Amino acid sequence: MASSNPSLFLLTVNGQIEGANFPEYDSLYCKYSYVYGHDWAITTGLEEGITQITCKSSLSRTLVWNFPLETTFKSTNPSGWPQIVISVYGPDVFGNDVVRGYGATHIPITPGQHTKTIPMFVPEPTWRLQKFTGWLLGRRPEYTDPKVVAQGEGREVTRVRSQGFVTVSFHITTKDMKKMGYDTGPSNPQTAGGVDAF
Amino acid sequence: MWGKDRRKDPIQDGRRKIRIFLVKEGCCNMAELHIIGQILGARGFPQNSLFCKWGVHTGGAWRLLSGLKEGQTQVDIPQTGNMAYWSHPIDLQFATKGLQGWPKLHLQVWHQDSFGRCQLYGYGYCHVPCSPGTHRIECVTWRPLGSWQEQITQMFVGGGPQLRSPDLIYSGADRYRLQTEAMGTVELELGVIMRHFDKYGVDS
Repeated sequence: MASSNPSLFLLTVNGQIEGANFPEYDSLYCKYSYVYGHDWAITTGLEEGITQITCKSSLSRTLVWNFPLETTFKSTNPSGWPQIVISVYGPDVFGNDVVRGYGATHIPITPGQHTKTIPMFVPEPTWRLQKFTGWLLGRRPEYTDPKVVAQGEGREVTRVRSQGFVTVSFHITTKDMKKMGYDTGPSNPQTAGGVDAF
Repeated sequence: MWGKDRRKDPIQDGRRKIRIFLVKEGCCNMAELHIIGQILGARGFPQNSLFCKWGVHTGGAWRLLSGLKEGQTQVDIPQTGNMAYWSHPIDLQFATKGLQGWPKLHLQVWHQDSFGRCQLYGYGYCHVPCSPGTHRIECVTWRPLGSWQEQITQMFVGGGPQLRSPDLIYSGADRYRLQTEAMGTVELELGVIMRHFDKYGVDS
């Protein structure tokens, strides 16, 4: 099973979508999916999923999903490193299901435990009238494909409003990266959190 | 004429194609650097509706194998707090024959108002970290300062002096001619993966 000159390496992601912090919204659920380059493929685990709908409790103002993530990727090249794309949805005043935020982050490259706080943003309508009719009719601007959030091209024409954060924790293991000559730095024993933005 | 004979044998033809590819790319002799991360956002600027134009500059020995070397982020207007979030992904693969000209990331932070007019808010640059792993970087920015008449005009109508050539952002050559003021900071999270650097005796 062990080969002295492996041609591909594995990246195992174990973690959870812990929860979210949206000061103005409640009763939210989230969809996640992975975006990766041409050299990558998923060997085990799900490529996308949907969480439960969660509400804030009287004790705490954060939303909790505690949603498991267990996926293994294989690749020949670190280029196109996987990203997780998260979209959060919830009801508006009239009961329509509208998007409350999109966000994306790279899966951490060093083995160990990581906690990332991902800022969530929504596309912003250009005109105030459009904003008002969107609020009235429940038709807010949305991305046709949420995976566009993980790309760099085409973002320069978008205006967005950031309005919340989602916290995701990862436990990362890699196999055969060192044998292929890739050095990803020292393992991370414990990180005390990513962006301190609450 | 020797090419014609070799093409008849599929194994030899395959080996020939691999040899051509390796000689063209020079892959066996080069160290590789992967930069995988995000431009997270910016804070500390006078107003919050911000976007960033970024680029990576390298020396002559470096070659970009995959990824986009420059780009522009979205415009973010934060609902709460004072930090504009871009989460703009960076995924670059370089091959190099030498350490000179290590990649540098240069940034221009701009403000876009509700009418769509853009105003420069700061220039900044930082080197890509030289050790493998995940790094959190806070890049400071500065803006050229004009004469006192220009500063008063800027207070009322916006605008202000800009650099004619963006090279000055990451080079120190003619900086002594400039007078600048400090602006906010840009936060980046960059992961660095290095390959074959130890074969060339590079300690990291």
